[in-house]
Amino acid sequence: MMKKSVLKGRASDKTINVCCACAAIGLFLILWYWGTAATKLGMMIPGPLEVLGAIGRGLFGKVGRHSIMAHVGYSMMRVMIGFAVGSIAGVALGLLMGWYGIAEAVFNPLFRIIRPIPPIAWIPISIIWFGLGEDAKIFLIFLAAFSNTTLNSMAGAKSVDPEVINAAKMLGANERQIFTTIVLPASVPSIFAGLQVAISSSWATVLAAEMVRSSEGLGWMIVAGMNNNDMIQILSGIVMIGIVGFILAIIMRKAEEVLCRWNKSGE
Amino acid sequence: MSMEQERGIENSIIECTGVCKSFETPEGEHQVIKDFNLQAKENEFLVLFGPGQCGKTTMINLIAGFEKVSGGSLKFMGKEIAKPDPSRGVVFQSTALFPWMTTMGNVEYGLKMAGVKKQERQKRAQNYINLVGLQGFEKSYPVQLSGGMRQRVGIARAYCNEPKVMLMDEPFGALDAQTRYLMQEELQRIWEAEKRTVIFVTNNIEEALYLADRILVLTNCPSTVKKEYIIDLPRPRNLVSPEFLALRKEITSIMDSTL
Repeated sequence: MMKKSVLKGRASDKTINVCCACAAIGLFLILWYWGTAATKLGMMIPGPLEVLGAIGRGLFGKVGRHSIMAHVGYSMMRVMIGFAVGSIAGVALGLLMGWYGIAEAVFNPLFRIIRPIPPIAWIPISIIWFGLGEDAKIFLIFLAAFSNTTLNSMAGAKSVDPEVINAAKMLGANERQIFTTIVLPASVPSIFAGLQVAISSSWATVLAAEMVRSSEGLGWMIVAGMNNNDMIQILSGIVMIGIVGFILAIIMRKAEEVLCRWNKSGE
Repeated sequence: MSMEQERGIENSIIECTGVCKSFETPEGEHQVIKDFNLQAKENEFLVLFGPGQCGKTTMINLIAGFEKVSGGSLKFMGKEIAKPDPSRGVVFQSTALFPWMTTMGNVEYGLKMAGVKKQERQKRAQNYINLVGLQGFEKSYPVQLSGGMRQRVGIARAYCNEPKVMLMDEPFGALDAQTRYLMQEELQRIWEAEKRTVIFVTNNIEEALYLADRILVLTNCPSTVKKEYIIDLPRPRNLVSPEFLALRKEITSIMDSTL
């Protein structure tokens, strides 16, 4: 009985949240509309109807040489490769630093200096190293994902309950088994905190990389719009960036919910 | 090897002679255990009973092999204890379950590490899950279980490796009084069904008298054995029988005060 009422409470909370979100977005669109019609600054940019209309037409139509969906696809492809490689490397290095003192002693000082450098600062070097093609962009996204996952993974590996480690030893686990069956899964919640930041940082970085030099992708849409003085295209790009970023964050949260089910009580 | 020697080894599974343990602290050396002697016989239920911070947990950690002695000799089946081993199972006060594993995952963990095939190990794990009365909760995660049930998982997990010795460090210390009584009865039942040498640490005199074949009363820090009591009251014990109450009164009176 109690369980049911709790669930019901949660469900109605969810409905309220969705309603609030819709109302806020609606209000924002109205403000945008009013702003472009009635204010000096607003008159310089197109209204929501024009932008959403352009997105609707361009989604499977053509903006430049590709449809908006294809531009999203290009950007996503770059993000996915860079993010996958970067976060695997970051998690691996982070766990090693958290678990083996010597790895921390060697890599941590170096890492602390490299980490505060934003990935876009590497753009010139990435071009020298990898040219103007895909590799340079993927390299930048790799950096974004790598630097954001390492520290969280390290914190995760460090915070494993020593008594749980003792329990594993008592049950006969060797060093390698303790690392793979205890340290790694125990760090998953911290790793996910890092992956959340890494995915949004990767998404921001791909756009910056595309704005510097590319012939497709959402970043290109904005730069091309700027060069052609096409305000509608710029805003279409911006809106799509927001929407895709939002969807990526939701996917990450869902993945975390599934993988960290054991970490939440009352389910 | 002569019969007598063989029996000697078998009789005394844990042999602890003049064990000392101190820790380095900023204020200098802090001695926790001093000249500790203990012998645990096969299938004996031995209780270490002592005041609050008297080094009982340290003693368990030493026997388990989590920590090393600073002096003296600590032998398991005739060999110095060097590191943790599945033949000495530990039940922790904090349970120390693996929270990302289900009941089954926790209980079968030791066998999995030893490379036992899935079907075989799940069969054996199921056996112990049933023994501790958790059938139906095989797929539950620790967060979904009550405190008493979690400790049942902890007991089954240690039992599943078929250890020679079970080391229990205040396993029921975090439970409420009602659950604690129930778990004491359960532990007695499990121990009767699967006899093992048990070294059980507690600061609860009733618990000690209910479970023990033998009680070692410990002094306050640095800890050593103050007195030994052999408890031969018939099991299951009546907590309000005159003999029980007399022993309870006597042991309580010789125990060091924690304050």
